[in-house]
Amino acid sequence: MSVIGRIDLLANAGITPWHRASAITKLVLALGIVGAAVATRSLPLLVALQLVAWALVLSCRMPWRVVVAGASYPLFVATLFMAATWGGAWRPQLALLLRPVTAALVVLWLVGTTPSPDLFAPISRVLPRHLADGLFLTYRALFELLGRIERMARALRMRGAGAGPPARRFTTAGEGLATLVLHGFERSQRLYAVMLLRGYSGRICGCRHWAEVGRDDLWVGAAAAVVAAAIVGLGGRA
Amino acid sequence: MSHLHIPDGVLPLWLWGPGWGLALIAMLALWRVQRDRPGQRVAYEGALGALMLAAMALEVPLGPVEYHLTLAGPIGVLLGPAGAFQAAFIASALLAFIGHGGLTLIGLNTLLLGTAAALASFAYRLLARRWPGARALAGATLVGHTVSGTAWLLLVLAAARFRVHDLGLETGARLGVLAGLAVPLDAFAVAAETVVAFGMGQFLARVRPDLMPGAAVPEPRELEA
Repeated sequence: MSVIGRIDLLANAGITPWHRASAITKLVLALGIVGAAVATRSLPLLVALQLVAWALVLSCRMPWRVVVAGASYPLFVATLFMAATWGGAWRPQLALLLRPVTAALVVLWLVGTTPSPDLFAPISRVLPRHLADGLFLTYRALFELLGRIERMARALRMRGAGAGPPARRFTTAGEGLATLVLHGFERSQRLYAVMLLRGYSGRICGCRHWAEVGRDDLWVGAAAAVVAAAIVGLGGRA
Repeated sequence: MSHLHIPDGVLPLWLWGPGWGLALIAMLALWRVQRDRPGQRVAYEGALGALMLAAMALEVPLGPVEYHLTLAGPIGVLLGPAGAFQAAFIASALLAFIGHGGLTLIGLNTLLLGTAAALASFAYRLLARRWPGARALAGATLVGHTVSGTAWLLLVLAAARFRVHDLGLETGARLGVLAGLAVPLDAFAVAAETVVAFGMGQFLARVRPDLMPGAAVPEPRELEA
């Protein structure tokens, strides 16, 4: 299963308080942490936000492979950037490493504890109608296409498409991908028929419990209080 | 190379802030253009937007490294500039949610992917008058990805220059090394996307030429190829 598939499964099947908390409070907390991490120049605050991010991601029982995959990518890119601009003081370099990892971990926590319909529902409230519908439909089609593309790549490799000059390999990959365009076209026709049967009238109605705040949101509130205290207490320090 | 895989907190606000602003303006303008399009079109755009994301997960082996496609050119041709720009926004947003690109980078990534797609769409309309489907699709992809890839390169260099300047370091040699590494990679990416688009065009022209907007009916020689 792909990393995105694992995250989606965890978001839907997880049983921690984070999973039961409402999408809107988690979204606000995540945006607050990412915003603070990106905006601040205070190294102590960045360290504190990093600790909060790790606490969030480890307490939602996310598989360590997913956590490593989520943290290593921004770490890799930040390290590349750091290497390209190496020199001078160590503080800005450390900040460059902390910022992206914090942001990536918090977003991972958000998507790993919130089922996609709940996550997209508040976002779709502020998006134009077509965009919001497109977000739902794209995410829905993605998993099926990922499975198909994996099977197609395996079949192409078994038939020797991985050998030969690059131009031939890429042309073959293009022909394989074109079969998925056909599949996407036919699927969209069937999907539209289903949407009409279900009463589609120009807007996909997302779930309505994304804003139902309950007892588990106290945990989100507690995390937000820690972040706010860190911003107030450490935000001014260099 | 039509997509910035840079996470949050690496690029400065003056770079990603206007990116978000421009992307929102473009999205609003496009929303007004295609407010009344049929619902079936929305489903098709969702399917091809998902294909864009799924293609990014496909690893094309290339010796010791693997290349990840974006398909922005072909998707732009198949959906048209407005639909493709929207698909680019959705793809960038979903990529950010899975840790590839960052929330602050959604605007810039939409602009990069959307530019490649929109330019490919316009170029295809011109090229399809003279060339058969596969060649026109490849040519259009070449145009779209060249412009978008150049913009990508300039953004990366601008970000590096800002950071080097911010740290008070010497700029010249460092940026030269970065550009020396990035330019061949960018050229390779454009070539790879063009060849893949040619393969897609060949297949679609044979099997479903009606999906290619305004394409000439494939010639027998092309069908035999």
